[in-house]
Amino acid sequence: MHFLAPSLLFGLLAAILPWLIHLIGKRRARPVRFAAMQLLLRSERRISARRRLREILLLVARTGVAAALPLIFARPFAERTTDVPVASLDPQSAVIVLDDSASMSRSAGLSTLFARARDRARALLRQFPSDVDLALLLASAGSSPKIGELSPERARVLEALEDIVCSARPADFAGALRSASLILSGSAHAKRRIYLFTDLQAAGWEAGTGLPREGAPEVIIDDVSGGARWENRAVLDVGVVPAPEAGTGGIAVDAELADFSLAGTRGLGVALKVDGVSVAKGFVDLAPGGRGHKRFLHRLTGEGGGAHDLEVEIDRDAFRLDDRRLAHVELSRAMSVLIVNGDPRTARNEDEPFFFAAALRNGLPSAAVTIKLPDDVSPESLESTTMVALLNLAQPSEALAAGLVRFVSAGGGLFISVGDRVDMTLWNGRMAKLLPQPLGLPRTASALPGQHAGEIVDDRPAERLAPIDRSHPLLANFPEHGEGLGSARFFKYMLLDPAPESPERSVILRYESGAPALVEKQVGKGRVMLLSTTVDREWTDLPIRTGFLPLVREAARRLVGATGDDETASLRAGEARSLVFSGDEQRLEVSRPDGSVWVARREQASAAHSILYGETDRLGTYHVRSVGPDGAVVARPEQDFVVNLDTRESNPARLDPADRPDRIAAASPGAKPPKHRVELWHSLAAVMIGLLFLESALTLRRRRV
Amino acid sequence: MRAGQKIIVSEGTTGRGQQPRPGLLDPTDLARLASLDLRARTIVEGAFSGMHRNLHPGTSVEFTEHREYAPGDDVRRIDWKAVGRADRYYVKRFEDETEMHTFLVLDASASMGYRRLGVSKLDYAGYLAGALAYLVGQQGDAAGLLLFDESARSFLPPSTRPGQIREVFRLLEAAQPAGRTDAALALGHLGELTDKRSLIIVMSDLLDSEPDESGDQARGALPERLRQLRARGHDVALFHVLDADEVELPFDDLIFFEGMEPADTRTLLAQATDLAQAFRRESQAFRNRWRGTCLEAGVEYRFARTDAPPAEILRAFLADRQRAVRL
Repeated sequence: MHFLAPSLLFGLLAAILPWLIHLIGKRRARPVRFAAMQLLLRSERRISARRRLREILLLVARTGVAAALPLIFARPFAERTTDVPVASLDPQSAVIVLDDSASMSRSAGLSTLFARARDRARALLRQFPSDVDLALLLASAGSSPKIGELSPERARVLEALEDIVCSARPADFAGALRSASLILSGSAHAKRRIYLFTDLQAAGWEAGTGLPREGAPEVIIDDVSGGARWENRAVLDVGVVPAPEAGTGGIAVDAELADFSLAGTRGLGVALKVDGVSVAKGFVDLAPGGRGHKRFLHRLTGEGGGAHDLEVEIDRDAFRLDDRRLAHVELSRAMSVLIVNGDPRTARNEDEPFFFAAALRNGLPSAAVTIKLPDDVSPESLESTTMVALLNLAQPSEALAAGLVRFVSAGGGLFISVGDRVDMTLWNGRMAKLLPQPLGLPRTASALPGQHAGEIVDDRPAERLAPIDRSHPLLANFPEHGEGLGSARFFKYMLLDPAPESPERSVILRYESGAPALVEKQVGKGRVMLLSTTVDREWTDLPIRTGFLPLVREAARRLVGATGDDETASLRAGEARSLVFSGDEQRLEVSRPDGSVWVARREQASAAHSILYGETDRLGTYHVRSVGPDGAVVARPEQDFVVNLDTRESNPARLDPADRPDRIAAASPGAKPPKHRVELWHSLAAVMIGLLFLESALTLRRRRV
Repeated sequence: MRAGQKIIVSEGTTGRGQQPRPGLLDPTDLARLASLDLRARTIVEGAFSGMHRNLHPGTSVEFTEHREYAPGDDVRRIDWKAVGRADRYYVKRFEDETEMHTFLVLDASASMGYRRLGVSKLDYAGYLAGALAYLVGQQGDAAGLLLFDESARSFLPPSTRPGQIREVFRLLEAAQPAGRTDAALALGHLGELTDKRSLIIVMSDLLDSEPDESGDQARGALPERLRQLRARGHDVALFHVLDADEVELPFDDLIFFEGMEPADTRTLLAQATDLAQAFRRESQAFRNRWRGTCLEAGVEYRFARTDAPPAEILRAFLADRQRAVRL
C-alpha cells in the first residue's frame, strides 16, 4: 500500500485515544458503597457477556473511526501488476475485437470465458491513456459493429462493451480483423493496433486472418482461456426418419455424438425429449476423439398430424450449448403410404403407381411408400400406415372396406382415384361411408388415346380445370393462376352423383364443366380425397404436368394432417430464414426461444411475398404465427424452425501458433509489465461510515437501557 | 394466630412516585424534628387521625381491668356503668390485651446505614419503631426493643413501667449502623427470651439473608426462624426496609460499587445504566421471594421504601390489621 500524503499518517496516533479515554474513565469511576451488592452482582452475571461484547465492539468501532480518518486523508492506494499489454500505454488508435462466438459461453470457474474476456477488455480500456481513439467490434459471423468508427469517447465504448451478450453464432475472425483493419486505415495516429480477446479456438480462422499483406495493423491477442485444453462432448446432428415398425406416427431419431477428449467417455447419458418432455434415455460409450450414434424409436401421438419439437440432450459439460440439439418434425416426415395398385401393368409407365409414387417420393422424400396388389392388402396391414391410396381399384373387399372405415375414423388418410376397372355399384355400396360423393357414370370428352399411349402431346379435345380457389388450404401455396394445373387436360372422368351439402365435404378442384374433379370429406378424425380421373395418362395428362407433384404432395400432407415439409426448418445460429406470407395474411410474428416476438408486416415483404428473418442468435425453436386482416392469429407450424449450434464451435482444437496473427506483438522486447493504481480511500471511507453506524447503534442502545 | 385474625401481606407503601396524604411528613422532614419522641408522636398523629390505634385489636372474653379512656380508644369499649359511678371515662381491658407484649426487632447492621438522598434505612426503621413504641406506650402495653447486627446488640425487655418508652427512644437514637447481619441469630435469641405470646415486629433490609437465590421463596435460616416464631403462637410482622436506590439503581455514571458491611470485599466496576434494567428485575424478584416466604409462614409482610412517609406505612399496617380482624 502506498500513500499520496504519508505525513498525515501521524494522525494514526489518534487511534489510541479511545483506549486512553477508556482507561481514564475507569480510574475516574465514582466509588459508591452499596448495600445491595448481592442483587447487583446477580444482575451483572446476567448481562455480563452481552455488556462485555458491546464494550469491545464500541472500543473497536471508536478506534477504527479514529484510525480511518488520518488514513483517508493520507490517500492510500495500491499498485497492481496487470496483464494487459504494455502496448496499451502508448497513444494510438485501437480496435477492440471481442470474440462473442458460441464457444466463449463455455464455463470458466464461476464465470464464462466471455465474461472473462469482457473483464479483460474493460481493464484494457481503463488502462489506455487519454489520447487514444477506440472502436469496438465483435468476432461472431454476421455480427454488427458495436462502435464502427474510431472515437475518443472511452465512456461510450465502455457502455457498449457492457451491453454485449455472448451469441451462439460461429466465429469469423477473418471478417472481424478485416473490418478492424479497414477502420484503422483512416486513423490519424501512427500506432494502429487490434486487440483481440478470444479463446483461440481454431474454428473461425479457416478463412485466414483477413489482414492485408502490406501495412496491416499490429494484432495483439489476449488468450482468455489461458491456453488450457478443454474437453468437450457434443451432439453433432439429429436426424428424424419415419419408422413404420413403431406404429402410426412412429419415428426414428438418430443422434450423432462426438467426443473431444483424450480419455473418451463411458456411459454418456443421452435423452430424447419431445415437446419438452423426456421420453427416452440411453447411454453411449465414446472413444477418445471418436464419434458415436444413438437411435431412439418413438411414436408421436396426436393423430392427424401436427408439429413436434424434438431435442436430443447429453449429460452436461462445461460447454452447454452443444449438449443439446433440436429438430422440428411434422407428422408428414414420418409418413407411411400404402398404395394399392388396382390395375397392374407390365409397362411401368402405364401403371398408376408409377406416377403417384414418383410424385410422393419426390415431394415428400421422407415418406415411406409401399405398393401392393389388392389381394395382398389385409385390414391389419393398415395399422402401420398413415395414408392409403386406392388407385383404380375394381372393388374393395368387404373386410378391406370395413378396415378402411376404422382406419380413416382413427385419423388415417385415404386417397381414391378412379379408372376403367372401378365397379361403381360395388364401390357405392361398400364404401358409402367413406366416399365424399357417390360415383356416377364415366364421361368421355373425346376418343380414347389408348393407341397413342406414350405420346407426350395429344391434340384431342379435352376438358380443363376451372380456375383454382387458393383460399382452400391445399391450394394456398399454388401460384395465383394455378400454373401447372390449368394446363392439364382431362379426356375422361367419372361423374359424381349429387350429395347433400355438408360442412364435412368440400370440392377442391372442378372441371370447366363444373363437375367435381377433386373432392374431400372428413370422416371421424381422418380425411378421404376422391380424384374423379386416373393418376396415369389413360384419362388425363395431369400426371405429366408440373402441378401434379405439388398437388399429390399437398394432398398427402392434408390427408395425414401434416402441415408442411421444409428442409430449411433447421438452421444454424446466424443463418437467415425465409418466411412466406400466404393468402391475405397481413403480419407474421416469430416467437423466439426467450419469449420475445419479432413482427414483419406484409408491406416489408418482397414481390414473392417472402421476408428474411436473420435474428437467429439464440438456440431453440422459433414459432411462427400469422395475423389476418381481421386480426385473427393463426399458428403457422409449417414455417416453424429450430436454430442449432454450428458444430465447428464444438471442436476445442486450438489455433496453430504458426497461424496466429500476433507474432509481431509477441516479439516486443523486455518492457516491464504495467502497473495499475487502485485508490483505496473509497473503501476506507465506506468502512468508517459503517463503524460510525455501529458506534451510534451501540450508544443508542446503551442510552435506551 | 389468634382466632379471626388474618395474615396481611402487602407492599404497604406509597413509594416515591405517589403523592403522600395531606398531613403526612416525609422522612426528610421528619429528620428535621428535634427528637425521636416528637417524631414518633408526629407519625402517630398523622397516621391515626380519626382512626382506632390499637395494635392488638383482638378481643377475648376474659375481663381483667379498667383503664382510663385515651383519645383514639374504641368508644364501643367504654364501660358506661363505670362512667355513671365515677363520672370519668373508663374502657374495659381483656386478658389478651393486657398480656400481649410487643417486641420491636431492628436490624442495625452496616448495610442499614446506606443512604444517598433522604434518611438511612436505620433511621427510617427507627422512625417506624419509635412510632410503634409510642403507640404501644399510649395504650399502656409493654414494648420491648432488640437491636441486632450479627448478634443481639441491645435488648430492652418489654415493660409497662414509666420511662420504658423513653428508654426505647434513647436506644433507637443511639443506634449506629455497624457490623454484619445475622437476623436469624437475633430472632433465635429472641425466641429464647420470651415464652409468652407476643407481637414481634422485625425491621430489616434482608440483604444477604438468603443463601439460595433460586425459586419463588427465600430460603435459609431466617425464614426458618420466622416459621418457628409463628409456630410458638407469636404474631410476627416483617418490615422490609429498602432505599430507593436498592429498588431502581438510578445512577447514570461509571460507578465503582463496594460492599458496605465489614469483611465484604465484593466490588463491581460498571456503567450503572447498563445494569439498571437487570437490577430492577432482580430487586423485584428479591421482594417477591420474601413476600412469598412470609405468606407461606403466616408472617405479615410490609415493604417500606425510605422515601415514603412513615406515617403512611404505619397507617396501612394498622388499617390492614383492623380490617383483618373485622373480617
